[in-house]
Amino acid sequence: MDQFLSLVVSAVLLAGLYAAMAFGLGLIYGVLRIVNLAHGGVIMAGAYTTWVLFTRFGMDPYLSIPIVVPLAFLFGVGLYKGLVRFLPRGAAGGVQSLLLLFGVWLVMQNVAYLLFSGNDQAIRTSYSTRGLSLLGVIVPLNRLVVFVIGLLTLAVLHVLLTRTYVGKAIRAVAQNPDSCTLVGIDVERIYTLTFAIGTALAGLAGLLLSTLFAFNPGAGAVELLKSFVIVVLGGLGSVVGIALGAFVLATVEVFSILVLPSFLTAAVGFVLLVLVLVFRPGGLFGQKVLS
Amino acid sequence: MSVLEVQDIEVFYGDAQALFGVSLTVEQGEIVTIVGSNGAGKTTTLRAIAGIRPLAKGEVAFEGTSLKGVPAGERPGMGIALVPEGRELWPQMTVEENLELGAFSPRARKDRVATLRYVYTLFPRLAERRRQLAGTMSGGEQQMCAIGRALMSKPRLLMFDEPSLGLAPILVQQVFANVQRLRDEGLTILLVEQNLKKALETADRGYVIETGAIAQYGPASELLADESIRAAYLGI
Repeated sequence: MDQFLSLVVSAVLLAGLYAAMAFGLGLIYGVLRIVNLAHGGVIMAGAYTTWVLFTRFGMDPYLSIPIVVPLAFLFGVGLYKGLVRFLPRGAAGGVQSLLLLFGVWLVMQNVAYLLFSGNDQAIRTSYSTRGLSLLGVIVPLNRLVVFVIGLLTLAVLHVLLTRTYVGKAIRAVAQNPDSCTLVGIDVERIYTLTFAIGTALAGLAGLLLSTLFAFNPGAGAVELLKSFVIVVLGGLGSVVGIALGAFVLATVEVFSILVLPSFLTAAVGFVLLVLVLVFRPGGLFGQKVLS
Repeated sequence: MSVLEVQDIEVFYGDAQALFGVSLTVEQGEIVTIVGSNGAGKTTTLRAIAGIRPLAKGEVAFEGTSLKGVPAGERPGMGIALVPEGRELWPQMTVEENLELGAFSPRARKDRVATLRYVYTLFPRLAERRRQLAGTMSGGEQQMCAIGRALMSKPRLLMFDEPSLGLAPILVQQVFANVQRLRDEGLTILLVEQNLKKALETADRGYVIETGAIAQYGPASELLADESIRAAYLGI
């Protein structure tokens, strides 16, 4: 029973991190119909930016959020205006966008090797090893903070998309960009904004990951793949769906250690991905692809 | 000064020319209709006025101001609205969200609460369905929602592209009744229709378009009585 409870707590906390990781990828796919392969690179860059701020300026990683997130946002604006804007959209642009953004990722990775070498880095704060008792389970403090930030991000995104004019315009562009022009929505501006928000979320995910794990310039690959699994699980283009997808993946991964050797944990998600693609191609939660 | 003045416009789709010098005017408070068969260039004309199709030649002026260089996204803000063919709503958003987004331009947004109330009094059915997803409504209700969305931008010129397409006969009546009602509310209307008889019965003046050029124009009643038009389009 104790073990069960502790696994549940781990799963919930892991889900918060996974959701934060996947939001950006899901948002960009939902609106622009582009799988942002540079997502992993931005996660890595977010981690390094946090690390630089921490080691050079002694900034607490969580207090760096107001710096890292806007920087990632601006990077997203630049990436969209400089490159992504010229890509064909939708199914027709699939191959080009995958190649281009994969290229961007490789460039980012290699720049990071140049700047920071390939050594593992980690952020150790005074509270890095502190734990908290939650439902009788000892939980690392960082995990809890990351979970709370993940939840807050979900809430902010949800309010943005359902309560604000700009958020509604983002959803409208996802559903039918042509009629957006008819009511005076500047579709290109919405694309820029969406891509930038998605990139900012990837930067935030990198920051959160840097507080939990060691990283090197190759970081972000596993995160990208897991984000992809989550987005597919949750049904493309829904914030709540992504949160649920993250929860499913985290639960399955955590509980798999009861029956599987731990080196197979990472494979569990992909088995799940294949199963969902075969049996529920619209996502686990029946969310239709917004077309 | 005319509300709308279209002068000798030409439009291409790639290499294929769709409009060969179309000219027309719409005066304040008029219902003007463009009729013609499928592929004659009716929709293209509206899309050119809305700014969605670029002009190769000619000019469009709204209330005396040339629209040259004004992007499509800024025209709703000036007072031009289009109810597109096939409605083109956002299916996964509620009726009210669809309407709210109609008032996206800054000029319309500040009055959106009042305009929304006005649209709901005009179409009480939309008020009943405000929380329903637009994609789950019937064709007639979606048409109302599309008109409501266009009204939310507080237009002075309202353009309809095939509003009766795909609707049951009783709803077709309703659509044309609505067009007349909106004119009575003070709007100027440009109506594109395949249903030539209904359109000419509703309109003040009409233009007949054939293979990308205006073939005939005049008061709607005269066009409706014209032997050649009756023979070509009504089979009488």
